[in-house]
Amino acid sequence: MHIMEGFLPLSHALGWYIVSAPFVLAGAARIRRIVREKPEARLTLAASGAFAFVLSALKIPSVTGSCSHPTGTGLGAIVFGPSVMAVLGVIVLLFQALLLAHGGVTTLGANAFSMAIVGPWVAFGVWKLAGRLGLSFAVSVFLAAALGDLATYVFTSLQLALAYPDPASGFVGAALKFGGIFAVTQVPLAIIEGLLTVVVIEALSGKIRDEDRIATLAGEGK
Amino acid sequence: MAVGTLDRAASLNRWRHRALIEKALIGFGFLALALVLPPWPGAVFVSLAILAFTFFGARVPLRLWLATAALPMGFLAIGALMLVIEVGADGVTLAPGGVTRAAELAARAMAATFCLMFLAMTTPMADLFGGLRRLRVPSELVDLALLTYRFVFLIADEATAMTAAQRARLGHSSRRRWLRSTAMVIANLLPRALARARRMETGLAARGWQGEMRVLSPRVPACGRMLALVLAALVAVGLAGGLL
Repeated sequence: MHIMEGFLPLSHALGWYIVSAPFVLAGAARIRRIVREKPEARLTLAASGAFAFVLSALKIPSVTGSCSHPTGTGLGAIVFGPSVMAVLGVIVLLFQALLLAHGGVTTLGANAFSMAIVGPWVAFGVWKLAGRLGLSFAVSVFLAAALGDLATYVFTSLQLALAYPDPASGFVGAALKFGGIFAVTQVPLAIIEGLLTVVVIEALSGKIRDEDRIATLAGEGK
Repeated sequence: MAVGTLDRAASLNRWRHRALIEKALIGFGFLALALVLPPWPGAVFVSLAILAFTFFGARVPLRLWLATAALPMGFLAIGALMLVIEVGADGVTLAPGGVTRAAELAARAMAATFCLMFLAMTTPMADLFGGLRRLRVPSELVDLALLTYRFVFLIADEATAMTAAQRARLGHSSRRRWLRSTAMVIANLLPRALARARRMETGLAARGWQGEMRVLSPRVPACGRMLALVLAALVAVGLAGGLL
């Protein structure tokens, strides 16, 4: 769920840019380092960024009879790691704004924080935690992707509530209001995305031979 | 909407070959005004000005524009509706002054979206990234964005072909199957995208690539009269929106 262009007041738009900046800059610095050491990594990174963007433009069926789009947040966090996802996420959001007029430039900071930072970190945390608790592979992937998606949506609702608090019940009321109305579409979507990611990861793990490359992307390679 | 639709529009409109600075000044200038000015009447003036540039200047096709503008309206409708109601001790009621606030928000968000659409439909992304390079954004990141841009269409074509093949084989006949089919597309797409990157890397390495993408992009000199016109429009809208 993207906040549309111009929806946030100026102060909030700037504020979220400032909040997201350290994460994105850290990711960018890491990417610059990876690229300096091995220039060929930039092709892999570019292909991954483009993949993440195309994935977010694929149609999936959703509850209301209409269709929706996966976010790829959970998949990206599991495959590439959350710090690289911050930069890939910003690139995807920028491309979505300029190629699909979806999201926006002024709301890029806010969207980046919920979709490229909160979502991937929650997904990654759940993934690691579920592994430690000894949950099965499929359940861990499902929980990571679904909760990552849910975290993004809950955080977006909080961002909206912060910008437009309820006149009677303030921030909490507004958060419930925005969260409640968007839950209709977002909760089923999170479940669908969880299922989708399970099938993707299961199919992928039999396919990717070059696992070092994924490790490099996630910043865990040598 | 297909991934390449707006990109094609950006390369086909009448202002395709105008200088980047002119279009950026229009798009970002009015976007800033939309956020800074009071929504009434500022956002209305911004909308009128940016629509004039979009249709009379760049001659963006109206149909495509309408189809694109329809997308964010669902979010706007729900979001604005939330300002109309309030949740208090006695349940959900109409918020005092909520309609006005919602209308103001809708006006501002629409004006800003029209500015974004102007940029998306008149300025190819490669030009924008060229501009970022001139603004001294680290070249590694600009190169990465340009390479990503290149890959987007290749990978999107592949995804479209896979989806078409699945549809032809009843891959979307039930929701369950549709979900499975989409997952298969994604799972096939990632290794293919990485393999493509690897092939390209081998090809480039064989040609002595040093990690810098040099492409010929003709730099159009900015037209002074056009810049003056845009600045005048910005100042006029700014004053009218701020003072009225």
